[in-house]
Formats: sequence, C-alpha cells, structure tokens
Amino acid sequence: MPGTERKYGLGPTRRHALALTALGIASPFVLRDAVAQGKAINVGVIMPLSGANAQFGINSRNGVELVADEINAAGGIKSLGGARINLVVADSTSTPTTAANVAQRLLTQNDVVAILGAFASALTIAISEVTERRGVPLLTMSFSDQITGRGFENIFQVVAKASAIGKAQFDGTVAIAAAAGQKLDKIAIMYEDTAYGTSQAAGLRDGAKAAGVQIVMDEAYPLGITDVTPLINKLRASGAQAVFPVSYLNDSLQIIRAMRQQKIAIPAIGGAAGYVIPDFEKGLGEFSEGVLSISPANYDLAPELTERFRKRYGYFMVHEALEHAVCMDVLAQALEQAKSTKPDDLRKVLHGTRFEGGWTKAMTGGAVQFDKTGLNTLSVPVMVQWRNKELVTVWPSQVAKSKAIWAS
Amino acid sequence: MAVVQAILDGLMIGGVYAVISIGLTLVFGVMGIVNFAQAEFLMLGMFVAYFAWAWLGLDPLLAAPLAFAVVFALGAALQRLLIRRVMKAPEVAQIFLTVGLLIVLENAALLMFGSGFRSVTTPYQTSSLQLGPLFVSVPYLAAFAMSVASGLALFLFMKSSWFGRAMRATAQDPMAAKLMGINADRMHMLAFALGVGLTAFGGAVILPYLTASPTVGAQFVVLMFTVVVLGGLGSVAGAVVGGLAVGVIQSLSALAFPIQLQNLVLFVVFIAVLALRPKGLLGAAR
Repeated sequence: MPGTERKYGLGPTRRHALALTALGIASPFVLRDAVAQGKAINVGVIMPLSGANAQFGINSRNGVELVADEINAAGGIKSLGGARINLVVADSTSTPTTAANVAQRLLTQNDVVAILGAFASALTIAISEVTERRGVPLLTMSFSDQITGRGFENIFQVVAKASAIGKAQFDGTVAIAAAAGQKLDKIAIMYEDTAYGTSQAAGLRDGAKAAGVQIVMDEAYPLGITDVTPLINKLRASGAQAVFPVSYLNDSLQIIRAMRQQKIAIPAIGGAAGYVIPDFEKGLGEFSEGVLSISPANYDLAPELTERFRKRYGYFMVHEALEHAVCMDVLAQALEQAKSTKPDDLRKVLHGTRFEGGWTKAMTGGAVQFDKTGLNTLSVPVMVQWRNKELVTVWPSQVAKSKAIWAS
Repeated sequence: MAVVQAILDGLMIGGVYAVISIGLTLVFGVMGIVNFAQAEFLMLGMFVAYFAWAWLGLDPLLAAPLAFAVVFALGAALQRLLIRRVMKAPEVAQIFLTVGLLIVLENAALLMFGSGFRSVTTPYQTSSLQLGPLFVSVPYLAAFAMSVASGLALFLFMKSSWFGRAMRATAQDPMAAKLMGINADRMHMLAFALGVGLTAFGGAVILPYLTASPTVGAQFVVLMFTVVVLGGLGSVAGAVVGGLAVGVIQSLSALAFPIQLQNLVLFVVFIAVLALRPKGLLGAAR
C-alpha cells in the first residue's frame, strides 16, 4: 500500500521514500509469486459482464465460481499437491474485439492454464482465435456450429452444436405435437441474425425439410430490435401452426407480448437463451406459462447438484451456469489426471478421456467426452416447458420429468 | 390490407419517434448545440418509470410526467454546470462534452442498475383493439396518444406562454432577445431541461412494450438523428413529420424486404432527401 509507507519510514529521506515506493509497487507481484508457489492454478474466466449479454455472463460466472469454490473447499487439485483454483475473471463486454483483447491479456499477464467462456458464440469465436494461436485450452458452452467446425485443437464444447439443437427443437416439437394428436404441416421461424441465431435456424430448417414440413415464414431480424410488430404481422398472415423464435431476452419478451396482443395462440417454441432464464417469467408473468423451449441442459435433471446453486444465488441454475459449471469441473478433472498445468498435457487429457462423476452427471449424457473437433459427443438437447415459474424437462421421454402440455 | 396495417403501425411508432426527437431538435434550435447524449435521457426516463412501477406500483404511462420532472431537473442542473460553459466554445468542444456525457451517463447507469433488462407488467400490455381485419396494439396506441398529448402541450407552451415566446425569441436572435429584457441564459437552461425531459417522457411511455436497460439509448440514437435531420434540424414541426415518416418507412419496408433491411431502406430514403433537399423536409434556412 503506497499510502502507508510514511508511517514506517524513519526520517523521511528521499532514499527511504524511493525504496519504500519501489517496494510498494513491487509487492503485488512478489505476493502473487508467493501464492503461486503455495500452489494456485490460474484459470481465466471471460464473460460478457456488461452490455447486451451481461445477464447471461453473470449467470455463467456464478456457475464457475460455485464449482471452483467447492473444489477448493474439498482440498484443491490433489495430484498437484492440493493446488487451489484461482479464477481470473475478465469482462469481454458484448463485443468480439474486446473479448479477443481480454483473452490476449489473460494469457500474457495472468499466466492462465485454460480459459472458460464466453456464453455468446460470437465472443467465444473471437477468443478461440487467440487461444488456438497460443495452444491453450478453451472450454465453452457456446454452440454455434463454427466453434467446433474450424478444425481447432484447443477448443472444447460441452454441449451439442447449434444445428443439432435447432434440429432437436424441431423434432421435439413434432413429437410433442404428435403425442397430443396434432400433425404439424406449417411452421414459422424467426431468429436474430447473430452466429447463434443463424446456425440454430439452419438446424430448424434441416429438421423441417427432412420431415416434409412447410416453412411458411423464415425471417432474420437484427439484435436489439425495438419494434417486432412487422414480424408478428407476417406471422399472423403466414398461417403457421407453431412458431420457433430463436432470440435473447429483450426480443423474446417483445415477441411473446406482441403475439398475445394479436391473439395468436399457436405454440411458441423458444430457442434457449432468452426463453430459459428467470427474467423471462418475471417479464411475462402468467403469459410465460406453458411456453416451450429447447435447452442444451436443464437443472431438474440433477437437482442434488443444481440446488446448491439456488441456495447460494437465490434463483434456479440456468443452463449457461450449469454448463459452465461442468466446464470448470471437467477442467479440474483434467488437471487432476494430467498432474500438470502445461497446456499440452491438458489438451491430451481433455481429448482422450471420458469424464464422469461430479458435475458431468448434470449433463444429458451423464458424462462428458470430446471428439477430435472438441465436441462433447454425449450431450443431447432437451425440451423444457414453463410450469409455475419453473422449467420442467418434457422431452426426450428417457429423461423427461413430466409430460408436455401442447396448446394448439 | 397489409399495407393499411403497416401504415397504421408505422404512424403509431412514428408518433413516439417524433416526441423523443422533439427534445433533440429543441435543444439545437434554441441553443445551437447538438446533444449526442440525448438518447441517454430516454434511457433515464425508462428507468424512472421502471422504478416508479417497481416501488410505487405506478403504471409507466402515469409515471411519464414524473420521468419528465426528474429528468427536467437533472437537465437544468447539467446545463447550469456543464453545457453553459461550452455555449460559446468551438463546436468540437461541444461535441466532446455531449459525447462525454453520453459515455458517463451510460456507464453510470451500468454501475447503478446493472446491465440486465428490466421489464414492467401491465394489464393492457398484451391486449389490442380489433377494427375489422386491423389490429391496434394497446401499448402502442397508448404510447402514441401520450406522445401526441405531450407534443401538443409543448406546442401550446411555445405558442402562447410568455416563456415559450421568450424561448423562440432567444432562438431567433439572442442579442435582440436580451435587449428586450429576456434572460437568454435562463432560456437556454429551460430549453435544455425541457428537451431532455420530453425525451425522458417518451422513454417512459414506450416502457410497456420495451425493456429498460442501460444500453437502450444506442438503439435510438441514430433513429433520433435521422428523424431530426430528415424533418429539418431545429424545427419542432419537422421532428413531428420526420418521426412519422421514419415510422412509416420502417414499417412499409418490412412488407417488401426482410426486416433486417428496415434501416437500410430508411437510410436510402434519408440520403435521397438530403441530396435533394439538404435543409430537411420542413427545414428553414438557418
């Protein structure tokens, strides 16, 4: 602390002042090295903590923190002499350029062994360019197809790809409608034109094509849209039997409200993101009841784990928090097995291991295993439905906690 | 019928664009300052209305006058403390100040309110009136009606009150106004406060169908400038015409083109207007 030096200086000569100031400036570095020798492993956490995606970033950070604290409380990484996990959290904002800069900084200045993040696909893609160059593992739950589609060796994605999620969003809906005795012929798709919306819409389109279902509306719109009326006018004119909106929070609230205004009662099947967080229910109240959504994972599949999150943070464990928690746990398991913090060793273990136990039990596959591209091959998306302020898994039937309600 | 519906939707949203832009044009018209931070006052208005709803249970439409009053006071203080000092400074200094204000307000809001989206729940939020095949969204209609009312109130104020006439006199010729015993300095403060207050009022009335967040200003800032320049910088009537025009252009373009191109169509029209009529639709030569 530069401000406290004078108290200890004996006779404030210039030399004393200089020496103490130098010590003051140096002390954080000296201290940090001391801690590092006392075995702390720096793990970078890059999340959008400000800007349009901040809420999701904060949720994600909470998930990572929960698991890191649990690991440290249980004695750290045992094969590395009980080394503690030290999270270095950084704000990527909601712009990809900043995300890349922040990643660069963590790698050069904070000496992180791996990076977790960053919710939005566009941000994760920007970060992955940096981590790939430096050969440091990046664990993520972003799911745009581009993430594992570029042949990168240092990226690990714990959930299914957006196109697979989009296809499941479609297939699950068809299955739920069929169980309720309705055959879908015409559907509408609307999505925000980012990496996430575009890839997931492609999956929906493929699913519909394969099933011979006609897409009567297929519309992209810009992120941060302030007037959805033209979209909803088109939806009403299209005669669709179900609508698949792929959007974050702000737009999802507007879309559902505008649909209710125009008395469009067809089922809306959301594309995760804005549809599966507590704010969706808070913003819509009773109108959220019965809204379906696809989700890469859901908290009711492993309540014994996810209730710990609710207890600490006061809201249910949203899927991005859950999946980032899994990222953290998988990294800890990899460190344990590798007995090393070298990126090369970590990468080898991450590629060649089936991770079981701990938080991986909360994933649909019950375990995590990455293929050559870094994709977790065991994860399958689920359909969830809003029931009385909670999200209930309703599809596929092997994991469903309740039967879906289809309001056609 | 789709065209009629689109024009109707466009007019309703355009009415809101008009009222939030009148503030900007008023500040420029009276003070000659381009206020880049104007859209941040829209954000502040939304937050005032949001907290009035969350804490006092006040409907955003009823909270709109409150938003106006709070931001009016803030605007008066900001003008006194900051804007007044650059009134005679070079334009670059004025731009730096208002852009700086934009950054400070946005980040202060991020610090205070967090970056999440906040949304109110009102009973009319999901209802609409049906006129044959046409749908009129109630929250849009309410926002439009409130905008028209506030626009009319401003018009009457400027037209017939002593303050309004004094403000117009200051805008036309500050020196002559001073010679007539008008305190030009005070008129500038009033104009700035009124301008940002009106924009905040607009922010409050759109809250029932939008969400409040510290970064919402960014969605509106370009629109506001388009409206004002299209109508004629400094002209209040121009802002009304510009606002309605922008609303209708956006709405109609969505019929023929993907909604992503909405603003592209708008800016093509905008550039055409500027090329053919640089003063704007109703702009008087300044």
